[in-house]
Amino acid sequence: MTTWIAALRSERIKLGRSQVLLLAVFAPLLSVLIGLLSNMNNLGTGAEAWEGLLLVMAMFHAMFFLPMMTGIFSAFVCRYEHAGGGWKQILSLPVSRTALYMAKLLTVAGALALAQILFSIGLLVVGMVKGMDIGSVPWGVLGTRLLSGFIACLPLAALQLFVSTMWSSFAAPLVLNMIFTVPNILIANSATVGPYYPWVQPMLAMIPNSGGYDFGAFSLPLENLMVTVVGSFVLFLAAGLIYFVRKPV
Amino acid sequence: MTELMIETRNLTKKYKGARAVDALNLAIPQGEIYGFLGPNGAGKTTTIRMLLGLIRPSSGVVQIFGQDLKRDRIKILRRVGSLVEYPSYYGHLNAVENLETIRRVLDVPKARIDEVLHTVGLTKDAKRHVKGYSLGMKQRLGIAAALLGSPELLILDEPTNGLDPSGILEIRELIKKMPKEQGITVLVSSHLLSEVEQMASSVGIVNQGKMIFQDTISNLQRKAGSEIHIALSDAEAAMIIVREQGCFARLEEGKLIFKGIDNGQIARLVAALVDARHSIYRVEERRKSLEDLFLNMTASASGASMGGISQITGGHSGAPRGAGLPKEVAQ
Ligand SMILES: Nc1ncnc2c1ncn2[C@@H]1O[C@H](COP(=O)(O)OP(=O)(O)OP(=O)(O)O)[C@@H](O)[C@H]1O
Ligand SMILES: [Mg+2]
Repeated sequence: MTTWIAALRSERIKLGRSQVLLLAVFAPLLSVLIGLLSNMNNLGTGAEAWEGLLLVMAMFHAMFFLPMMTGIFSAFVCRYEHAGGGWKQILSLPVSRTALYMAKLLTVAGALALAQILFSIGLLVVGMVKGMDIGSVPWGVLGTRLLSGFIACLPLAALQLFVSTMWSSFAAPLVLNMIFTVPNILIANSATVGPYYPWVQPMLAMIPNSGGYDFGAFSLPLENLMVTVVGSFVLFLAAGLIYFVRKPV
Repeated sequence: MTELMIETRNLTKKYKGARAVDALNLAIPQGEIYGFLGPNGAGKTTTIRMLLGLIRPSSGVVQIFGQDLKRDRIKILRRVGSLVEYPSYYGHLNAVENLETIRRVLDVPKARIDEVLHTVGLTKDAKRHVKGYSLGMKQRLGIAAALLGSPELLILDEPTNGLDPSGILEIRELIKKMPKEQGITVLVSSHLLSEVEQMASSVGIVNQGKMIFQDTISNLQRKAGSEIHIALSDAEAAMIIVREQGCFARLEEGKLIFKGIDNGQIARLVAALVDARHSIYRVEERRKSLEDLFLNMTASASGASMGGISQITGGHSGAPRGAGLPKEVAQ
């Protein structure tokens, strides 16, 4: 356990000095902008209005920004090891490969959590700017959706980290991620494929299935989706770990 | 014999059927500087990667500090510092930050960073981004990283790669100090015999994945043997006198060359030559250079692929430092 923490603290220096964390700030800022520019007149009042605002702001955030950020962060935590020959140095240190892999995954998760927290703050700020009543915030619904959105990124993070450790190119996993993110809106329409598609899972988890979003995979209960999310996370994490532990360096 | 720091038994690595490392038995006692010598592609780096657990052996056993590497890898690596092939670094960080990423894993005091930077002479550039470093500076940073955890065993794969002559000298002196001052055992690979000769106390020569020689440096030098060269006015005529004295000489460029001749024989021979009114210009002992020995060993082991090398004779023990074997062959 101590080596996990040590490895995590080591990752932090590498990430901290790069500008990549700015992404976790800019993406929520864009969502704030979208929220501010949106027409709120037909959103109703009270709790309904807050859910409506979440829908407006999370649309782009969950469909596009979250999966893209997940791919970028995952590729980024492997980037410097690939570029500078760092794998052989870091793997010659007294740290298990499992600990190192988990440290990288936790770093990705941490950056995503930061983005999600900033998004949540942005959501409240936009609501207040729009004159909505802070007293009528449906904390339960919003909290569940925001947290589920974050958790639904984790299978994708595990998958992208797997690919990023495997391919020594920084761009290749990003291209892959982009290609599979683009059809998200189409995939979301399919109740059969949608829940199993890691790139669309954040969107399915974050968009409230009220307010008209009750078609395709959106209509499925959140609990069912989260079971799939946890299952695929375990699957991708196991595959990535098995690969990484045996990887010749 | 003292305790073995590294011991491998039948260590083998196959790549698609080809044996990059073939039943290697390394034995490195404590406190040695072990020169791991071999031409390009001999399997040095592959062996070192197996010693560090970076790749899995196809078969065979690695024991370090008497412990099985497969079972106690983490415990062993805590006591090992290493630099494999070219140096690893994070270009967007400076030297201190680079070492800090390692220090956090090793959990050694922060002061070690300044110490090792001083040791390799990087203190002045410690706050510069490493991507702006020259190859030699990156190499030094790599060595600093290897030293950071105060290891008992240092494994360095061609540590003087890319360094200038003064850098090579510095690093060599640094390595030579290790066993004396800190009791560190060093495994240092090289394809340059002159380099190994100057710092190692024992040597293992590999070729095509096989160990072809493993012993102390002095035994290697003894094995190389020596020749007596006599330069004189009329070498051809002198050959008759040599034969009368019961000696065997080779004639080369107006010189007589003797192998395995003792002091008494030389004294009698020189007296006889002087009596016969030969002018003797010089009598000198030439140690057959280790390069020749090394080339002969590797050539005989690899057959036709290194053909021509064994023809090269004549000592050049003062071969330029830093020149690779292929270059010396071409000279
Ligand atoms: N990943 C790999 N796949 C296939 N063959 C490999 C691999 N790694 C090494 N080899 C082969 O193993 C042999 C030994 O390579 P190695 O890098 O160990 O040599 P070396 O002694 O370190 O040489 P050099 O002095 O050039 O560094 C070479 O023939 C090389 O082609
Ligand atoms: Mg090598």
